[in-house]
Amino acid sequence: MNIVVCVKQVPDTATERKLKSSDSTLDREAVDGLMNELDEYAVEEALRIKEAHGGEVTILTMGPSTAADTIRKALSMGADKAVHLSDDALHGSDSLQTSFAIQQVLGRTGFDLVILGSESTDARTGVLAAMLAERLGVSQVTLANKVEIDGSTIRIQRQTDYGFDRVEASLPAVVSVVEKINEPRYPSFKGIMAAKKKPVDAPSLADLGIDAAQVGLAGSATTVVDFAEAPPRAKGQIVTDEGDGGSKIADFLASKKFV
Amino acid sequence: MYFDLDEDQRMLRDLVRRLLADECPPSVVRAAWPGGEVSLLEPVWRKLAGIGVPGLLVDETLGGTGLDETYMVALLEQTGHAGLPLPTVATVAVAAPLLAASPDRAELLADVLSGQTLIGCQLEASSTDGTVLVPHGQLVSAAIVITPRGLGLVSMAAARPVASMDGARRLAQVDLRAAVPLHVDDEALDLAVARATVGTAAELIGLSRRMLAITVEYVCQRTQFGVPVGGFQAIKHQLADALLAIEFAGPAVRRAGYSLATGDANAEREVSAAKALASEAATSVARTTIQCHGAIAYTTEYDHHLFAKRAWALAQEYGNAAAHRQRLAGLLGLRTDHPSRTIQKVAP
Repeated sequence: MNIVVCVKQVPDTATERKLKSSDSTLDREAVDGLMNELDEYAVEEALRIKEAHGGEVTILTMGPSTAADTIRKALSMGADKAVHLSDDALHGSDSLQTSFAIQQVLGRTGFDLVILGSESTDARTGVLAAMLAERLGVSQVTLANKVEIDGSTIRIQRQTDYGFDRVEASLPAVVSVVEKINEPRYPSFKGIMAAKKKPVDAPSLADLGIDAAQVGLAGSATTVVDFAEAPPRAKGQIVTDEGDGGSKIADFLASKKFV
Repeated sequence: MYFDLDEDQRMLRDLVRRLLADECPPSVVRAAWPGGEVSLLEPVWRKLAGIGVPGLLVDETLGGTGLDETYMVALLEQTGHAGLPLPTVATVAVAAPLLAASPDRAELLADVLSGQTLIGCQLEASSTDGTVLVPHGQLVSAAIVITPRGLGLVSMAAARPVASMDGARRLAQVDLRAAVPLHVDDEALDLAVARATVGTAAELIGLSRRMLAITVEYVCQRTQFGVPVGGFQAIKHQLADALLAIEFAGPAVRRAGYSLATGDANAEREVSAAKALASEAATSVARTTIQCHGAIAYTTEYDHHLFAKRAWALAQEYGNAAAHRQRLAGLLGLRTDHPSRTIQKVAP
């Protein structure tokens, strides 16, 4: 089975993330990048499917040259090869453009199954899986917390407020997974050393038949008009218990419509 | 000589750092103390074995990873930083390579590499009463020891627990007469001692960095006269000195790892310089950081002591600073008495 996992390098969520005032895009140089945590579950699930059903796992990422670290990490976990789409013209691409560019890469790699994390921790749109499926004209089975492959059928389970949805589709398909699905493995020392020798394809936009005008900030369908820093958190209110602490807290909760 | 880690070594370090941050918080270090939940330790070691920690220095054909001592140093700085309460140095530097070097121990080697069996070691000076003290004695099933007849492997089943300063690295006393011979040549044993010495120095660097980090965090929070105490020069300068000691010793430890990895003819000098500097740094950092805390660092409820007591124990292990300074002097031709192969403790 030809499994492609889409991963993204994002700023460490533990650090303070900022937008650049020049073009309102994320300042990726100011902070350390690492693999979007939610994508680790996608990589892990791909490796498990490969271990159970055979095949090959390809890592696909779009991002600046520093995203090579994220590719290497996914390869050290056990993926077989990678495609790194990197071009300055892609800078500032929105979800529509990103899904278009990834569609072109998938045309090159081919696929039976495309796996994504539920969303990126930086942009947090969570729409890429749906956009990709639409562009590719294949089924989308999203937000899976369990995936089963049976021949050319994929069955997933999705947690809902009232129980589970069980969704079935035929391959090829695009699936997105949530963090409850598995526990991502740590790469091994052997995996780290082996990752260096695994092939990483770096096609140019021309190789993919993408015109630079079709991607990037200038042609983006969405625009960041303005942004502002979040206001500092206000000081909490301390309730001194003088025998009436319980009712004071109840009053507070009632004023916020919690009770 | 380039002292920074290369890309592979950084990846290994980051992996181990993240794994230990997840799996070995101070609560797990406490689990190894008397009365703690020892069962918390096994899954940590399994995960470390899963990524290839025990076989780091073992040849790939024998199931290891086949890496060298520069990687070992990067790994053990992190296990030290976490205060990992397991015989990592004994396994990585001594047990796994020696079992791999002995022809009839394939089965035991496989169990060590998979994390199923923990082996300790005691390679210091031979005892006078026919017994030795094995660190982590309550956790390991057997230990590699030096007996009057040569290197041996002794079961820890009949070992007697001994009161220990670091409760997460408890000693157990075992009778050398119960040991069975382990057939490895002198060269392999010398290398094991050198690796264990550098490995212990690397753990001391990690422990020192941890103690400093805990203290910096504390002095930024603790206020006096309305400002954080870390703003006062009396604290600032002490902690700057502590950092200086660590930054001075750290490259020497990396250098010693590099010397072992490249078969440097003067490796023994580097090993002794590394252990002397790391032992001194860790001892002084422990002292300084306790003082900068005030009374809280004396309590067992506060985490600092978990790292300070390990540092004091490891500063004495495989030769303390004074012993290595003497040895280094001998190796440089500054002393006439010949340095002994096994490292004796010397009173400072």
